Amino acid sequence: MSAASRQFFQDATAKAVDVELREIVRRGIDHYDLVVGRGKARFADWEAARQRCHEIRREAINHLDRYLLEFEQRVRDRGGHVFWAETAEEARKYVLDLAASAGVRTVVKSKSMVAEEIHLNGALESRGIKVWETDLGEFIVQLRREPPFHIVTPAMHLTREQIAKLFREKLGGVEAEDPPSLVAVARRALRRAFFSAEMGITGANFLVADSGMIAITSNEGNARLCASLPRIHVAIVGIEKVVPRLEDLAILWPVLATAGTGQPITCYNTLVGGPRAPGEVDGPEEFHVVLLDNGRTRLLADVEQREALHCIRCGACLNACPVFRSIGGHAYGTVYSGPIGSVIMPHLGGLGAYQHLSYASSLCGACTEVCPVKIDLHRHLLQNRRNAVEESLRPLSEKIGMRLWQWAMLDAGRFRRLAWAVRMAMRLAYGMRLEGTALDPARAWTKNRAAPPIPRHSFRAMWRKTRGG
Amino acid sequence: MGDENRGREQILARIRAAMGTAAPAQKAAANEKIIVRIENPLKRFRAECAANNTECLVRPDWAGCGNALGELLGEIPEGEIFVQEAPLLRRAIAKSSETRAIRWSSQGQLSESSPAAVTLARVLVAESGSVLVSTACGGRAASVATPVHIVLAETRQLVPDLGTALAAIRQHGELFANSSFSLITGSSRTADIEKILVLGAHGPRRLVVLLSEQSE
Repeated sequence: MSAASRQFFQDATAKAVDVELREIVRRGIDHYDLVVGRGKARFADWEAARQRCHEIRREAINHLDRYLLEFEQRVRDRGGHVFWAETAEEARKYVLDLAASAGVRTVVKSKSMVAEEIHLNGALESRGIKVWETDLGEFIVQLRREPPFHIVTPAMHLTREQIAKLFREKLGGVEAEDPPSLVAVARRALRRAFFSAEMGITGANFLVADSGMIAITSNEGNARLCASLPRIHVAIVGIEKVVPRLEDLAILWPVLATAGTGQPITCYNTLVGGPRAPGEVDGPEEFHVVLLDNGRTRLLADVEQREALHCIRCGACLNACPVFRSIGGHAYGTVYSGPIGSVIMPHLGGLGAYQHLSYASSLCGACTEVCPVKIDLHRHLLQNRRNAVEESLRPLSEKIGMRLWQWAMLDAGRFRRLAWAVRMAMRLAYGMRLEGTALDPARAWTKNRAAPPIPRHSFRAMWRKTRGG
Repeated sequence: MGDENRGREQILARIRAAMGTAAPAQKAAANEKIIVRIENPLKRFRAECAANNTECLVRPDWAGCGNALGELLGEIPEGEIFVQEAPLLRRAIAKSSETRAIRWSSQGQLSESSPAAVTLARVLVAESGSVLVSTACGGRAASVATPVHIVLAETRQLVPDLGTALAAIRQHGELFANSSFSLITGSSRTADIEKILVLGAHGPRRLVVLLSEQSE
């Protein structure tokens, strides 16, 4: 069992019984479900939209070299720089060197999962550079020194009271606890940073090959300020984010917004292709795009699971997942959580370290059903499980258990006798009040929950009696 | 810096080795099947604006828009209004400029304390009630850094959907002449605290579109 796997079981067990947290998450996702339903109804044909997005992404991923080169050429034509980073370390080094050579002391940053992936903030801070997360949710979790809880709504696990307390401690000037007052406190705190920072760092939702532009989506306007006011703009983006044509955004933008937050379209969809052009009023003097591989080409080489690179990071699969709803984002212990995280983490971070995540699923398929680019997520979880078994990464106890199960299932009489013995043993054990104790074989469940009642008769006996009537 | 990039060839080689043969293409529907057809762009635009918190005021001509602009600027708190340098806006704002301090985009970047910005737009999108601006519309920060953003446009700039809007900026080399474009839909917002919608996060709290029915 890997250290990550042990930690996951420990954290997931604790979070699953944190009733207060589960209630906050439930409220958030219930609201999401309601607005997404309305959003989908605005399309003439939501399924056709999903299919189109799948095709756009499939075309891009299956011709990745061509589109990346086209993108690179056009960015260079406009005077921008493109750096290809094979690893997180190379990406960090590029940004750190750039910051050092330009004498950067303050960075304003908009939400970027790739920046989380390469642990950029810590690296910048270790060089004495002040980093301001400017997306409100990210700003909140940065003040708490926590990773984001969810890829779209980083602070969804917190109440207004918790946020007000945090702001009082770290920022001051909190007069009321209602969300508008708290937003105003954050806005004031970040306003000066936008106008004084030397470097703005953003991610990108898409790289548009035929236009050589990055596309950034945000509701708050912070990403636009990061790409407008500082002297240097750096965008850190995974190589898989490329799309062939500008017109592809006519469908991708509304679909991303609908699947992500239920909005018809996000407030700001911005295209940036280079530094301030001659004759323009403002804009950065330098524009850099860091294209990150960091395991993505490994995933590309896996023909079965390559389509996981189609992901547009909308978070819909997290919201739909019964496991995510129960344990939340932090328990996963990974940058990418939920079903998509469980699929891609073994490719980005190694199967040995992250195969356990593919078992944090009931294989219900809700993730596949909601994915706006039609990634067959639950099938990929199953494939990861198969790969883990083939590479002997599963515990011996599981192997023995499966063999026993197979042996029992291959003979009807044997199965009946064993099932009877188990029922009797459980009744006896629970009769002796062993439920939930160390001697309870179902302790993983009963430690924090009531055990299901042990049936008096087997299913077969009931069937014989009633024939299902 | 980027020119001595060893990783570039490595990544490209790995991509080419990984891909082998591409997955076969499947049929996908055209945009007309995916989005609802828009019969009356102006009606749709106004309805979408009402839903996304954009104030849309339609006037018969530019003179009417100029008057409406004057009234709007009268409500804006003290401070230098940032205005895109354009003959149309020079005329529209002529009256107000006697009483308000104005900084034209030709005079440089807007200041941190500017209470409002006035710009033109490239196209208006009926489908989503959006305004598409380019850097030619007063720069990058004009439409996002002030608490109020006022857009002056003509109804002939309306296009039915986003696909048409994106195709429009491809024409006449515009795409490569501007370093940035933004599709703006409603005022800046966040729902990061308990999923409760709050308007005016980092960008404008108020977005006003003044539409002239007559073209200049």
